[in-house]
Amino acid sequence: MDDVPGDLPEAAARRFSEGAFTSGLTVPDFAACLQMGLEPAGYVQGFCVMKWGSWQFYPGAGPYGGYGPNVAGTHGGYSESWQCPHGFVSAEHRVWGQNYEQPWVEDAWANGFTSAYERLIEEASALGAHGIVGLVDTSAPLGDLGVLEFRVQGTAVKVKDGPPPADGRPWTTYLAGQRLAKLIEAGYMPVSIAATVASVRVWASCITAYLTEGTNPGWTSQAVGAEIEQTARAQMAVRRIARERVRAQLGGDSLHGASMGTRERELGEGDADLECILRGNRVRRFKEFDPMPAPRPTVRLS
Amino acid sequence: MTGPAPLAADRPDGSAGDATSGDIRKEMLAAAQSLDRSAPSPAAAMTSDLSIDEELTLHSIGWEPIELVYGVSLHSIPMGVWNWGQGEITHASSAFARSFAAATDRIHHECARSGGHGVVGVHVERNVDRHHIGIALTGTAVRPVGAKKLPSADSVFVSDLSGRDFTLLQGSGWMPLGLAAGASFVYAPRRSMGTAMKQTSQNVELTNFTEAMYAARESAMERMQRSALALQGTGVVEVKVTEGPMEFAHHAIGFSAYGTVIRLVAGQHRNLAPRMVLPLDDPVRGVEATALRGA
Repeated sequence: MDDVPGDLPEAAARRFSEGAFTSGLTVPDFAACLQMGLEPAGYVQGFCVMKWGSWQFYPGAGPYGGYGPNVAGTHGGYSESWQCPHGFVSAEHRVWGQNYEQPWVEDAWANGFTSAYERLIEEASALGAHGIVGLVDTSAPLGDLGVLEFRVQGTAVKVKDGPPPADGRPWTTYLAGQRLAKLIEAGYMPVSIAATVASVRVWASCITAYLTEGTNPGWTSQAVGAEIEQTARAQMAVRRIARERVRAQLGGDSLHGASMGTRERELGEGDADLECILRGNRVRRFKEFDPMPAPRPTVRLS
Repeated sequence: MTGPAPLAADRPDGSAGDATSGDIRKEMLAAAQSLDRSAPSPAAAMTSDLSIDEELTLHSIGWEPIELVYGVSLHSIPMGVWNWGQGEITHASSAFARSFAAATDRIHHECARSGGHGVVGVHVERNVDRHHIGIALTGTAVRPVGAKKLPSADSVFVSDLSGRDFTLLQGSGWMPLGLAAGASFVYAPRRSMGTAMKQTSQNVELTNFTEAMYAARESAMERMQRSALALQGTGVVEVKVTEGPMEFAHHAIGFSAYGTVIRLVAGQHRNLAPRMVLPLDDPVRGVEATALRGA
């Protein structure tokens, strides 16, 4: 076993040195890995429980914290504003609206995810693994505390007769078994997983509030049934930011099997928190593509 | 294990492929060693939500994924339209139509901007709320392998067919043209007091709801069919429907449908002539008993 990093629990170090391997692979995936020359080294995991700073100030705002202090635009990133077309109406009237990126939410998510991921990598490195396959990552609110738990787990493997990773970091992938074998045969090598979150706050203008609530005070020029432009642009922006951020992680590699999940938390009168999580397998081409002939259709008689 | 690399005899020209393609261990080793080399230029990067199977089948017909693309739109529904009434709730139906059209237009532009000639595997999210309707489309832009020419947004196709289905469709001489959608929201009229009283202790069909369902369905299907004709399509495949009362207004019935518009582009339909296979698998999972170390 390689040198054990200092912050790995002592019990983990003992367990790693006992000889038997553990694995989260299914039996078919296990068989396929052996055939590829991948030997399971151990089931590795990383955890991190995160509490955001903004939560304590906005306790009703959900697991990802509130919108934080009004620092729109001061962190850079995406920001757009909308002006009220009505002039002065009342002190309560929404005279402006803004969409803005929430870097503090994104940073907190990235910190939690990265910490859990790095702990997973640390365990795998301690096992002398070359890669981690069948990776699964989840996050869930922990109790009712406004706290999010990040869990990343997978099976550390060694490539039989293979070199140790050049930079000492094992490669990682969500794939395992036959799907990983097909990826390799197609000419791609997993580099790492890629995951990111984008968060955009919609601070609704008067028009956005009216359209979202279906109200029409009568004196406004808004078209009945019009597009809610501010929210639509925020929805497009949150996806674009997530895609750009993942692209920044890729270098010249590609993202395979991506999954883009969005979540909207409506805060009333058009205000909303939007979130987009994009994750997938970062892969690198290691040989020219060798196209297969057009597949032959079959009908299963069973 | 049988990977996707074909046997030499299966190749059209009978030639053997890469010398290592038959040996997955050598491939794995070569792949692991490749990580020592520097990453390719950022221009070569692509993003895709297709599975590796889908990408391989696309490659087999000369197409490749290039970018994950999306289009979103939300339209407002004025207050009060869900109250009891008669006939179609036109504000809701038109909000759906306009949201779908605007989201489609945006994904077209995203696709064209990334150099895609079409989008496959589009995932359609529909959100019908009391005061607004939202449509979000997400899919992977694809193009013929190595195509350089940037298409116009009007010329790209959008399809919810998977990579496998796109391959089969193309192989039989058809092409997707776009997504067709239709929706209708209809009031189920109130029963009169007398009718309600008479039906209290009876097993009886509530014809007002059945009729509302039929009315909504006919309008929605007709709209979908018209949008297919507007795309000059021959038909619509993989139609998906959602129907039922609204959660927030149980007296209103909604019906929405969408699918991929297709047209025959070859001289005539080519039969795929699938080969019959009879799997001889036992229900027991087999494991190759290879020793872990020193095998």
